[in-house]
Amino acid sequence: MDFERVRKEDVNARIHSAVAKAKEKQEDLNAVVSFVDVEDQIEALKDIDEKQPFYGMPIVLKDNVNMKGVRTTASSRILDNYVSIYDAHITTKLKEAGAVVIAKASMDELGMGGTNENAYTGPVCNPWDTSRISGGSSGGSAVLVSSGVVPFAIGTDTGDSIRKPAAFNGIIGMKPTYGRISRYGVIPYASSLDHVGYFTTSMKDAAVALEVLAGRDDRDMTSSYKEVEKYSENLNSDLSGKKIAILDNVQNAITNEDVKENFNSLMGKLEARGATIEHVSLDDKLMHALLPVYYIIANAEATANHSNLDGIRFGQREDGESVEDVMINSRTKGLSSNVRKRFVIGSYSLFAANQDKIFRKAQKVRRLIVEELKRTLDQYDVVIANASATIAPKFNEKVQAGNDDIVTENYMVLGNFSGYPSMTVPTGFVEGMPIGINMTAKPFEEQTLFNIGLAIEEETGLKGNDVEVDA
Amino acid sequence: MNYETIIGIEIHCELKTKTKMFSSAPVTFGEMANTCVNEIDLGHPGTLPCVNKEAVKLAIKAATAMNCEIDPLVKFDRKNYYYSDLPKGYQITQQFHPLGRNGHITIETKDGVKKDIRINRIHMEEDTAKQFHSDAGSLIDFNRAGTPLIEIVSEPDIRNGAEAAAYVEKLRTLLYYLGVSDVKMEEGSMRCDVNVSIREEGSETFGTKTEVKNLNSISNVQKAIDAEVERQIGLVSNGERVIQATRRYDETQKTTVLMRKKEGDVDYKFFPDPNITPIRLDDAWIKDIQDSMEELPDERKARYMSDYGLKDYDAGVLVANRELGDFFDEVCKYTQNYKKSANWVIVELTAALNKDNIKFENNPCNPKYLADMINMVEKGEISGKQAKEVFEEIMKGKDPKKVVEEKGMKQMSDSSELLAVVTSVLDANPQSIEDFKNGKDRAVGFLMGQVMKASKGQANPKIANQLIQEELKKR
Repeated sequence: MDFERVRKEDVNARIHSAVAKAKEKQEDLNAVVSFVDVEDQIEALKDIDEKQPFYGMPIVLKDNVNMKGVRTTASSRILDNYVSIYDAHITTKLKEAGAVVIAKASMDELGMGGTNENAYTGPVCNPWDTSRISGGSSGGSAVLVSSGVVPFAIGTDTGDSIRKPAAFNGIIGMKPTYGRISRYGVIPYASSLDHVGYFTTSMKDAAVALEVLAGRDDRDMTSSYKEVEKYSENLNSDLSGKKIAILDNVQNAITNEDVKENFNSLMGKLEARGATIEHVSLDDKLMHALLPVYYIIANAEATANHSNLDGIRFGQREDGESVEDVMINSRTKGLSSNVRKRFVIGSYSLFAANQDKIFRKAQKVRRLIVEELKRTLDQYDVVIANASATIAPKFNEKVQAGNDDIVTENYMVLGNFSGYPSMTVPTGFVEGMPIGINMTAKPFEEQTLFNIGLAIEEETGLKGNDVEVDA
Repeated sequence: MNYETIIGIEIHCELKTKTKMFSSAPVTFGEMANTCVNEIDLGHPGTLPCVNKEAVKLAIKAATAMNCEIDPLVKFDRKNYYYSDLPKGYQITQQFHPLGRNGHITIETKDGVKKDIRINRIHMEEDTAKQFHSDAGSLIDFNRAGTPLIEIVSEPDIRNGAEAAAYVEKLRTLLYYLGVSDVKMEEGSMRCDVNVSIREEGSETFGTKTEVKNLNSISNVQKAIDAEVERQIGLVSNGERVIQATRRYDETQKTTVLMRKKEGDVDYKFFPDPNITPIRLDDAWIKDIQDSMEELPDERKARYMSDYGLKDYDAGVLVANRELGDFFDEVCKYTQNYKKSANWVIVELTAALNKDNIKFENNPCNPKYLADMINMVEKGEISGKQAKEVFEEIMKGKDPKKVVEEKGMKQMSDSSELLAVVTSVLDANPQSIEDFKNGKDRAVGFLMGQVMKASKGQANPKIANQLIQEELKKR
């Protein structure tokens, strides 16, 4: 459903009903880390114009987004007592647009994971079937949108952390171009791969949201000076002349006939709307290198990024004989073994003796992969494929996708390696669970994604797709 | 056995910027602990660095003054290690692409020997927090965290303590002239680490080096090196080995003391900081900085000698202290008596300030007043003796013209006026005239004294002397 306009006198009721709904669903979904006090925020709306796009709208922030005075844990024990001392750039933008943050959403600890099973507060359940995972790492955010608690939630995406859970939850997951939205104030995973993005249930909302969030921020040197476009005004679902490339490396590896059928039928509809649909294959060797390259770069950056979590200035501190012991004890107890394992991998690849054969090599392969993607996008408007070969797996269930699941389940890191805009759109249901496609466009061509996404939305009728919890 | 000493010096210098290297928090010294910090300086989660343009500008100035090649692509790297004074768990520095490379400066030791010392690199980085350790525990002040630094690394071209002192002094003066840094070693805005090793004369290989850290004055640089060289020679002469270690200089014992042994190099896992996109510097911007650079000490000295005709020594004194030179330049705007001005500034002004223990920054002397006074002496309006009296009043902020007027000091330079005085003095001292005629020249001196007395010291001595000689001959 498009963002609901709300009158001044109705704000209070709307916000409190969202809070009530979130609290009611918490037991089944476990999507919230902290509820945020809304009264001061409602009070602050006095100074906000009613015409602001998020005016009086309840929203959710992933728990790695700083909000002054609010607990921000990134779902890690080491930050369990951390209260932000400043607002992230996007927090300020959203406040100015009239949004009211009702909760901080669960995530895989420090963004490290794709299932949301690695959260300090425990796994998050999928509202379509609570025995299934939400996907991650932005699982809490996705679930709070797909269960109809809020129409909008902030997520972050380092590998596919917005786009995968969006598919598992039947909602839109948008990751714009690297640099389009400032990362200032967002707790990182891996700086060169991290993107701020969001979840909505309508393409129009997705377009409006980017107008609010995008733009240069001098505090983030990687933030772009490029002018923010009027995405919502320019929305246009006419596909004539659009060139769409199906990524065969992914589609050919999918074994589920229902998933395939859904995809192929959608492609037929897009073709009928005037789009040219063709098949492309990227170098298979490079596609199989995606995951190891991702692991090396992400974890190398992460090990440095999180060296500030030492228990000295903030966060959970564990006592020790010396300052060094305090740090060791705080990190050992405060970080899960999954996270510490990734730090070890990252550290190993950064040792002077290993850098050439591991870290720098991974950087080189990353460049080759991006060049390969660029060559394809030089000829097409988007590359498209299923966001996952399967529906959301059950807890502890291994994904059964075929021999190439290393490709089908990880290829979306293409959007992080390149920084190109990438979006997941729901396309239907298999076994009662939502599935979706993912498309990636040229840098700063978010409008293309919104436009093709709108055509898909019109074909599927899945606008405003949310669900009551089926426990 | 003769030994050769090999010394390389690393200098860390805080840049004189308003804000920190990567954050907008103010750069200060001596403020209340932890009041000049923001979320970036404290390494809070989610913060990002933003490069301080002014710091880059100052670093370019320093690199230019040290004749370095400047890399127009500015990149930063992370140096990873855990320490409680390092908020992020890594320091942002320029490991792979230092701003400046392959420079050199010319030093001159006290005995006048000139020598080129090569500069390996100059790079930008951020300072750490300051720690205070006591029995009760450790305290950390993050005000210093994130302060912009440049690190200047020399090649191992220095051969003794005197050269090392000259090198540090030369860098200190350069950076001070450029306004790049306060260069106060005692406050830590300039910090000096020296690497010292010895080898047999004629040997091509380097001996094991030790690093002497935290030297807080130039004289201690020299003393520490002398002590460390003596210690190393002592060891080697006794057949012992020098152990690679970090040492500090103990002023009271006048020797270096072991801080910690170095067991292999620490792996800092340097890698490019992904949050700082490489910055391509505009060639025109670099050139603009270089073209508008402050006059360097060597340039100033040459100017004093060629334009003002000062002697090497006087020019050297004025250059050694930038404020003194600046003041001298001001004085020279109002007078062409450059040599006299230099003398007044170097001797009288310095002495007057020292006498009352006044720092130069609080110097009450108005340069125009001093110039006016020097001009008055030159024109013969007041005598040199009177000038000293006038100068005392100038130091109280008074205009020399008013002082001369108020005290009735105007020198008697008018010949007819003076002639009357000379005539009356001669009339009153016939004995002296007699003496003069008998060849006793000192009679002139006596008569001169009488003229001065009669004129209340206002007689122009040159003219008076001339008149006395003339009148004596007439009698």
